[in-house]
Amino acid sequence: MDKTQNNRAWFLVLPVLVLVAFSAVIPLMTVVNYAFNDTFGQNQFFWNGLGWFEDMLQSERMHGAFGRQVLFSAIILAIEVPLGIYIALNMPKSGFWSSFCLVLMALPLLIPFNVVGTIWQIFGRVDIGLLGHSLAALGIDYNYTNDPLDAWLTIIAMDVWHWTSLVALLCYAGLQSIPQAYYQAARIDQASRWSIFRYIELPKMAGVLLIAVLLRFMDSFMIYTEPFVLTGGGPGNSTTFLSIDLVKMAVGQFDLGPAAAFSLMYFLVILLVSWVFYTVMTTLDKQEGK
Amino acid sequence: MTRTRWSLIYAAAAAFAAIILGLLFMAAPREDGAIAWTDPMVPGGWMAWTLPIALFFYTIGCLLILFTILAVRFPETPRVGVLRIETTRGDRLFISLLGSAFISLAWLAAFGAPLTPALILCLVYAAAVFRWV
Repeated sequence: MDKTQNNRAWFLVLPVLVLVAFSAVIPLMTVVNYAFNDTFGQNQFFWNGLGWFEDMLQSERMHGAFGRQVLFSAIILAIEVPLGIYIALNMPKSGFWSSFCLVLMALPLLIPFNVVGTIWQIFGRVDIGLLGHSLAALGIDYNYTNDPLDAWLTIIAMDVWHWTSLVALLCYAGLQSIPQAYYQAARIDQASRWSIFRYIELPKMAGVLLIAVLLRFMDSFMIYTEPFVLTGGGPGNSTTFLSIDLVKMAVGQFDLGPAAAFSLMYFLVILLVSWVFYTVMTTLDKQEGK
Repeated sequence: MTRTRWSLIYAAAAAFAAIILGLLFMAAPREDGAIAWTDPMVPGGWMAWTLPIALFFYTIGCLLILFTILAVRFPETPRVGVLRIETTRGDRLFISLLGSAFISLAWLAAFGAPLTPALILCLVYAAAVFRWV
């Protein structure tokens, strides 16, 4: 490639850099500072060294929240990704019904998070909710407010309802970009439905699928609003995920030090996972380019 | 650019870094003439700066400046290492820093403070990353 290299172009990035410094870097630095100090308010800080980090690393409460968070993200990905692919494969490829499906699928994505939480909060209630009342009428003992398993099932159902469309739409876009010639060649070779999926559709979808997995992982790992509105982290602590616990700690108890120390570790985990995904994605792109 | 101009750029960057370092130490809070390492640098300031954290960010900043200058002088060429992925010099810095954070946390969880041995381990790890990744 004979592109001209002009390093002065980097100056064009300067405005964004200033903006990011203001909105992200300075707050992040403040969090780092808070993680090493103790405070009782009024900007009076007392050095605590590595104390908060040691506390948080040994904290049962945080281990619990982290475990639940990992479990939640794993379940979400295990359901939404295969389901999204399955839906995308079975969507009409063109015509009226294809547009109809696209609009229908996009609807849940347009609903604000807290509204989704409220919808399911009412939907699942045994006294007035359609789902809760129907289940109770069928004789199923369902109550998400005092049974941890029911709470988990409701939150997972809510997230699947809210976000599977995203995976499906991304996969659908990936599928649409496959030229017909591939399918014709497969038909000539009398390839089975499975081998068409395995050797044509899946490799061609790999790029968008990775983006979908990354987005879903990040969102589910940072989920706050929906479970907060639906269960408030209960019953007990059974649906208290990382961000819910962090907010409780930082805003509810005003324990800024431990909350800052823990959010830094939370941030590092997210940074690591994002880096892995990004690297895999770019490496795949390069291999495809060859 | 010629060798002398590069020397000038290095000298300017080093002088800039030294001035900032000097300012940081001048702004450091003191008690009976000695530097009070753990006192807030700005009493009543909402960002709660202390000298150790300021020095941490100062080091990161200096690394970024150094790697920027190096990248301009010796353009980065990606290479494939033990991780089987293409990495440039900047990528290796990122991997070193991120890995060091996890090494320090693991050390803290396993053996507790102080983190001096962990820091040595991080430097070894960073050297290994720059050599083989």
